[in-house]
Formats: sequence, structure tokens, C-alpha cells
Amino acid sequence: MMSAPVAIVGAGAVSAFGIGWRGLGEAVAAGHLQPRESVLLRESHPGTFASEVSEIPAALDAGNARARKLMSRAARLAAIAMREALVDAGFAERREEIGAWMGVGASGIAMEDVPAIVSASFVDGGLSLHRLGDQGLMACNPLFTFQTLNNFSLCHGAILEGLGGPNAAFFSRGSGTAVALAEALHALREGDCDRAIAGGADTALHPVTWAELRREGFSAQGLVPGEGAAVLALARGTSSRALGLLESCTAIAGAQAGTTPVSRDLELLPQRADLVVIAPWGAPARAWLGDVAVTRYAGAAIVDVSLRLGDSLAATPALAWVAALDLLRPGERAVVLTLDVDGDLTAAVFRKESP
Amino acid sequence: MRAAWVNGTGAVTPLGRTWRETCDALAAGRCAIAPIASFDASGFPSRHAAEIDRDFSETDRRTALALDAAREAWAAAGLDRQPPDPLQVGVFIGAESGRLPFSTLAALARAGGPGPALDHGRFSREAESRARDLDSRLVSPAVVAARLAREFGARGSVATVSLACASGAAAIVEASRAVRQGECEVALAGGVGADVDPLMLAGFGLLGALSASGMSRPFDRRRDGFVLGEGAGMVVLSCKRGVARVAGIGRTLDAWSLTAPAPDGSGSLRAMRLALAEAGLESVDVVQAHGTSTPLNDAIEARAIREALGESLPSSHVSSIKGALGHTIAAAGALGFIAAVEAVVTGTVLPTAGLAEPDRDCALPHVVGRALSRRVDSAMVNSFAFGGANCTLVVTRE
Repeated sequence: MMSAPVAIVGAGAVSAFGIGWRGLGEAVAAGHLQPRESVLLRESHPGTFASEVSEIPAALDAGNARARKLMSRAARLAAIAMREALVDAGFAERREEIGAWMGVGASGIAMEDVPAIVSASFVDGGLSLHRLGDQGLMACNPLFTFQTLNNFSLCHGAILEGLGGPNAAFFSRGSGTAVALAEALHALREGDCDRAIAGGADTALHPVTWAELRREGFSAQGLVPGEGAAVLALARGTSSRALGLLESCTAIAGAQAGTTPVSRDLELLPQRADLVVIAPWGAPARAWLGDVAVTRYAGAAIVDVSLRLGDSLAATPALAWVAALDLLRPGERAVVLTLDVDGDLTAAVFRKESP
Repeated sequence: MRAAWVNGTGAVTPLGRTWRETCDALAAGRCAIAPIASFDASGFPSRHAAEIDRDFSETDRRTALALDAAREAWAAAGLDRQPPDPLQVGVFIGAESGRLPFSTLAALARAGGPGPALDHGRFSREAESRARDLDSRLVSPAVVAARLAREFGARGSVATVSLACASGAAAIVEASRAVRQGECEVALAGGVGADVDPLMLAGFGLLGALSASGMSRPFDRRRDGFVLGEGAGMVVLSCKRGVARVAGIGRTLDAWSLTAPAPDGSGSLRAMRLALAEAGLESVDVVQAHGTSTPLNDAIEARAIREALGESLPSSHVSSIKGALGHTIAAAGALGFIAAVEAVVTGTVLPTAGLAEPDRDCALPHVVGRALSRRVDSAMVNSFAFGGANCTLVVTRE
């Protein structure tokens, strides 16, 4: 039985490129984006070069000031990308039926809250859990727990946009975002919903996240921290307004952190492509993924988005998808390959029909 | 499309090292909730929890709990004797972020200066010298699924669902979908929660979500919040005929509030109706409710259950194991699912511990005191999350 086609009918993105996805792929391919010294890490890790989202204009920000106080940075970026994708797709009606699948990271809690709690919990120079339960509680944002719940990168946006369909949030440092897109694709093909959004949001520019990536040796191997969010709007069937068709999305588990998938896994990759967009986390992954792209897809145009957008963990595959969408021409097939810090490979395949 | 069958179950809870031990204790009406013993909780607004009184050799408590539960489920499915093709085994786990010991967290925070404001520069210099404390194995939600995949040699799909309190149920949904569509022949799925720690007690305490009385009393008029618990629930699903079938799935979002369910219960009602419709049922014999013991949630869920089952409600039985086990967050939906499977397989309908004076707003055919026995052909389990995600599953004998 043939699977029902699934069309990409809109997209949204927030990245160092700004808010919006149109032109992102062209900017990356043309080398117009360059990592710059991070503002977010200026105090904790001065001199770190990163792909960072610039100040967000108030009119384009997520929700209102009160809502944003409850959001982690990833949740805020996700909410913006979700809104843009829904508008781009013209999904204005029956939003309670729209499905939502997101790859989400764990870079939540505002650093300022932890020392506030701890500071209020010391008695005579020592930590007192009794004091924590009493005074420590009063010293922090009462809703800080919600910054630590990973699914809120999905739920903030869903609440703001009124989405009520089938859903899931997958923890991701890359591949979980591909699982989110694959689940959306399955749900649309099975008829769980007719319309859905899928994507990822995250930041590697949280002081603890960056410290952890440094400790694990990724920065020394060329990982440039990034951040952002990107979302595809999908609809079952073909559509005159389709930006492309989503053929497949696969996540292939790696052996262990930082390593690459074993060679037999490559048999699972799609066969043919006119455009290959790759997003490797750093130098070893770039060498491996670049070699795969060149040998497996001879003659295809190859674009490396991570050179310009860095690695934004859960957001990386989704940003690569929208970059590919921007570059995809009628009659072409694009394969988007990402290799994340856990050694997991992802492959998404898009096609744009000839007029 | 293929069916997804339950071939084995396993659990580790404060009431037992296995699901059988847990089930027997639950059936007898026992409750695991007690004053917190693992740290000094005397200053917290809520000082009770359902804790597992064991230390584990695994570095991460979540992983240790999940491994024990998974081994039981794996053996119950007979896979220890007949291992499946590794390429055909998927792992789908509901888990949230783990937490560093609070003393470590405090030390890291102090690295950012002695005062209440963080000195980022000092934090960077000092915290990185304590790099070993920032062990991602203690924090990342994904380590549990990765460890289980390694333990059982799984080379198929590996996914971590982080959907707060609905994580475990949502992971079983994803596993069911993968089995149905032939993406894998065998799926290990479930959830794990180990959240009885100072930071979570602080966070949920601040929200006023925890019980000040230290009692978990789902649907009782005296209920005043939930009690944290810890545990793991795992199942093995496959296309091979097993003890119960995953017959219906419903997932919705409230799109209402981060902390409260939609007041009309529309989100949870839609989830139940979708699951029932997919199962081809208008009624079920048993409902394993989300039933957290919070005033708002229980009343709204009860109303939604009444609407979902309509005139068939009196012939069903409703209970919540959170009265005995507390709220295990990412494990809760998986443990509820296993309780629903138990009802279908053995006819044992577990009681709601702590429920003695049912609230009129929560009028349902409750099971109180001890378990009851009856023929159960179908059971429904609800799992709802902070943020408004709702997940309902229906399991049937056929």
C-alpha cells in the first residue's frame, strides 16, 4: 500500500539569521553568516564565538512579558518559530486538531535562580536543607521548576497558539528532533491528524550546557555553540501551496557519544539527492559526514549549515531542514544529514515537484 | 495494520522490587507514603514522599530503577531465553532530567560567588574546575534509554520522551506505534521517575501542588495536593500475541495553562474519546485514573471520565494507584498502564489508597479499601501532564 503523501506547507525559524526561514539557506550557502563573540556567554565564557540569536524585536517576541518570565530561552524561541510556521502555513482554523511534535533540550533553569536559592539556604557557613525548604523557596522565581521541565518548550507555544492535537516532546541533542519529525509523519499518514507541526528548539549558550560541552571535549574539536528553533508545518496529502514533500525521516542511533554510526547503518540512508545539507557537530563529524555526502551523493550540491549556524543541539536538525527547504528547487530532492554529539545520525528527505 | 501486544511487565516501586510484589501490596491496600528519610525535609511545606529504601550501584538512580524494571519485563516476555534480533528491538523511555545531588548543585552555585547574585565569570572559572561534578550521566534524560539499549543489545529506534507527568504513557504510545507499523518487532517501553529531591520538593512546593498534610488522597474531599514518589514501570510490546493488546490511543493538548487543566476537562475528554474510538469501544470495565490528589485535577478528571463513559459508567470501576505510590512523574503513566494490564490479565482491580470520603465533585464508581476481582475485558489509563498534554491508552483482552 502506498503511503499518503505529506506536504510541507509552511515553516518558521529563529536563528542567528533572525526570525524567518526564507533566505536562511541562501545566506548559509553564500557564507553570509559568521559566528560572532557570544553576548550570552560574555560573562561566563568571554571570547566564545557562537551563532547567537540577536535581540528579538518586541513585536515579534513570544507572548507577553509575563508569559516570557515563565519561559526558558529555548521555549521562547520555540514559541516564535511555532507561530511563524502556523502563519506561514495558513493554519488559522481548527487549531485544536493540529498535532505538535518537538525535539527539546534540557538547557532550562535560569542560572540566576540557583545561587539565590543556595544563598538563602546557608546557616553558619554551611548548607541547611531545613533552611532551603523554608527561606530558599522564597528566594527564587516561584515558577522556576517549569523552566526545568523539558516539555515546556512544546507546551508554551501550544498554549499561546491554541494547539490541541496529538503531541509529544522528545529529549534531544539532535536525533530526538528527527524522531519528532518522524512521529509527525507517521501520525499524518495514519490519519491521527490532518495537519501538524514538528521541529526543535534549544540553546547551547547556557553557561552550564557550554561548560558541559567543553568538559566533554566537543569545543576542542571544533563545536561552535549555537541556538535557535525551527518548525515545519505539515499537511496530509498534496497541496498547491506545498513548499515540498516530506518523504522520510530517520534517526540512527550511534554507538556512543562523539563517535560515528557503524558503516552498515549507511545502508539505511536514501539513495539519490540533488542537494545534500549536512549539519555535523564539529570537525570529526564534519570529516565523516562530508565523506558520506561526497561519496554517496556524487554530483549533488553540498551545503554545511553548521559552519554558519554552529550546533544548537535539539534545534540543529530542524534548522538544517528549513535551510534545505529554502535551497530546494522544483524537481529536486534534498537529503538532510545531521550527526549529533551523541553519535546519532539523522536523515530527512524532501522533494519539490516540478511545476 | 499489526497489533501491539503486551508480552511482559516489570516495575520497581516503594512497595516492591517487582511488579508482582508491588501489585500484591497495592491489592492489600498498603500505602508507601511516609516522612522523607533520604534528606532533611523538615523545613519544606511538604515532608512526605513514597521513597524506595535502597541504594544502587548504578551512578544514576533513574537508570538503576529502569534497569531493574526492564529486566523483569524482558524476562516475563521470555526474551532472556529467546533473544530477538537486535536490529528489530526498539527502546522508548519516558524520562525527565536527572538532578545532581543538592550538595553538588550548591557547591556549583557557590562557585558563582557567595551572594545571591551569580558572578558568571567566577562561576566559569570555578565550576569548570569541578567538571567531574557536571556528569551528564546524572542529568541527561537520554542516558536511561541509551543504557537500556546497551543492556538489551537494542539496535533499533531509541527515543526518550520528555513529557513531564505523561512521559511514561507517551513512551508506550510511541512504542505501540513502532510495533504496529513494523518499525521494530520488539519494543521495550515505559517510564522512570526519581524526583524525591530537595529541588523538586522546592519547585512543586512553591507551586502549592504538594500535599501539606502529607497524604495522597485521590478523589477524596480532604485531598490537598500530590505527594512525590519514585519508581519505574516497563513493558515489552511486540506483534506476537501476548497477555493484552494496546487497542486505543488518544493524545491531546489542553492549550490552556501551564499549571491547571482546562476547566471544562475538554482536553482530557478528547483524549479518552479518541482512545475509546480507536479501540471501537463505548465503555470500559476499568479506568486507571491519573488521579493525583490535587483539588482541581481530580474534580476535572472525574467530570471528564463521567462524560466519556456516559451511561456505561456504573458498570465500570475507577481507581488511582497514586494514593499508594504517590506521583512518580515520568513513571506515573507507565505504572498506571501496568495496573490496567493487570486488571485485564488477572481481573484484579486495584484500590485507591487514601480514599475514604469521596468528594461529590469526584463522583465515580471508586474502588476503595482492597482490590476487587471481576472479569475485565478492557481497561483505560489516563496520564496528564503539566503544560496540558493528555495521554490515554485503552488495553483489551482481545
